[in-house]
Amino acid sequence: MDFSIIQESWPIYFDGLVTTVWLTVAALVIGLLLAVPLAVVRVQGGALAQAPIRAFVYFFRGTPLLIQMFLIYYGLGQFQWMQQSVLWSLFSEAWFCALLAFALNTCAYSVEIIRGAIVATSPGEIEAARACGMSRMLMLWRIILPSAFRRALPAYSNEMIFMLHGTALASTVTIVDITGAARIIQSRYYSPWEAFLTAALLYMCLTFTIVFFVRRLEKHWQGHLLPARVSDFE
Amino acid sequence: MTIDYALSVEGVHKSFGRNEVLKGIDLSASRGEVISVLGSSGSGKSTLLRCINLLDIPDRGIIRVGGEQVQMKTLRHGSVPADMRQVERIRSKLAMVFQQFNLWSHMTILENVMEAPVHVLKRDRGEVRKMAIHYLDKVGIGDKLHVYPIHLSGGQQQRAAIARALCMEPEVILFDEPTSALDPELVGEVLQVMRDLALEGRTMIVVTHELGFAREVSSRVIFLEKGLIMEDGTPEDVFERPVTDRFRNFVAAMM
Repeated sequence: MDFSIIQESWPIYFDGLVTTVWLTVAALVIGLLLAVPLAVVRVQGGALAQAPIRAFVYFFRGTPLLIQMFLIYYGLGQFQWMQQSVLWSLFSEAWFCALLAFALNTCAYSVEIIRGAIVATSPGEIEAARACGMSRMLMLWRIILPSAFRRALPAYSNEMIFMLHGTALASTVTIVDITGAARIIQSRYYSPWEAFLTAALLYMCLTFTIVFFVRRLEKHWQGHLLPARVSDFE
Repeated sequence: MTIDYALSVEGVHKSFGRNEVLKGIDLSASRGEVISVLGSSGSGKSTLLRCINLLDIPDRGIIRVGGEQVQMKTLRHGSVPADMRQVERIRSKLAMVFQQFNLWSHMTILENVMEAPVHVLKRDRGEVRKMAIHYLDKVGIGDKLHVYPIHLSGGQQQRAAIARALCMEPEVILFDEPTSALDPELVGEVLQVMRDLALEGRTMIVVTHELGFAREVSSRVIFLEKGLIMEDGTPEDVFERPVTDRFRNFVAAMM
């Protein structure tokens, strides 16, 4: 094993790291912002409003992320009308197609996570909110969503990690993220072990960063929701 | 002659499917009156309470709170409130204390008490905070301001829920079996708080199984049976000289 090559090629990894981080963060932020209203409609909306959301979630959870990205990046380029559209300048960019696929994919999973958390709101707490004269919007904003977010946090932290690891697929459409950097180093030096082990370590660092911040958020948000006894077991 | 009732209901009917739970209830509460509503389970007493603040929508009947009548519109399958804004305003004048406390679990006790006055009544946060602390002191949990509901005993949670109701400064407080979910040794502390409120002259409607409370604290006792009011009078009248045998049997069964 020769890790001096990693030292030499560190700038490539660093650029890859930056790309992975912004792709992940942007996908998660866009996905979550879209997912919250969709989840609310999915719970409270009429059948007609729910149908397209169900279809969207069904498609994005029912197909591999790689296929979704290929459909957007390679698939759409096949159509004349797409190439002539004003959006082509965006859709011809690999980063945009990858980000779009990632954001829609994480959105679909997040809709289900948040929907489940909303449905699990205690009926008694909703009743108390109605009984003191809260409007539906106020109740949603002050009672249902805050309590749902707290419940959704453990499942959503998994989704964040899956999304981070999912961005490795971006390397298949010419994007130099961490995985892309590793592939460049691998082919340059013929040393796949060092190249991919370095990538693995970088992903692990990012994962632990996510876990660290979720832990802190859980302590802030959830620790007090648990009976004191549970924390004694830890 | 119109008396300025804090609350009045007239001819309230409510069915769930084919089951007619309320068969025409008339009830008025003057200011400062403490009305205990007794009845076996299934008698409709909780439904009556829930119809008063429109958590359940009565099929027929008139509800007035502080002189304001709830506007209803009739649809094919029954009546519905005509104006949800009005319903929300009326509900904010009728605080409710639930059997299961129903504190908001993601908020501290202080946040629970401040929530509705700040966000529903849109009162000044600083003022509300002072009021909330005052009421939490009053119900004896002034040392638990920043504690989450799950860390409190049932009795403490229910007292917090009562403080939450008080902080709305409501016309009437509705109690829906407030001690039924409590361990026996915790019932006393909640009843004591309610007793203090009654002495202060607050208007209260209390659905309860606590005959002692009904007898000693309330100014009026109502006995509900199969959706109708069977007894209505002072505790003395109702307990000493009940009109119906049903009530005598009910009391005997509770003893």
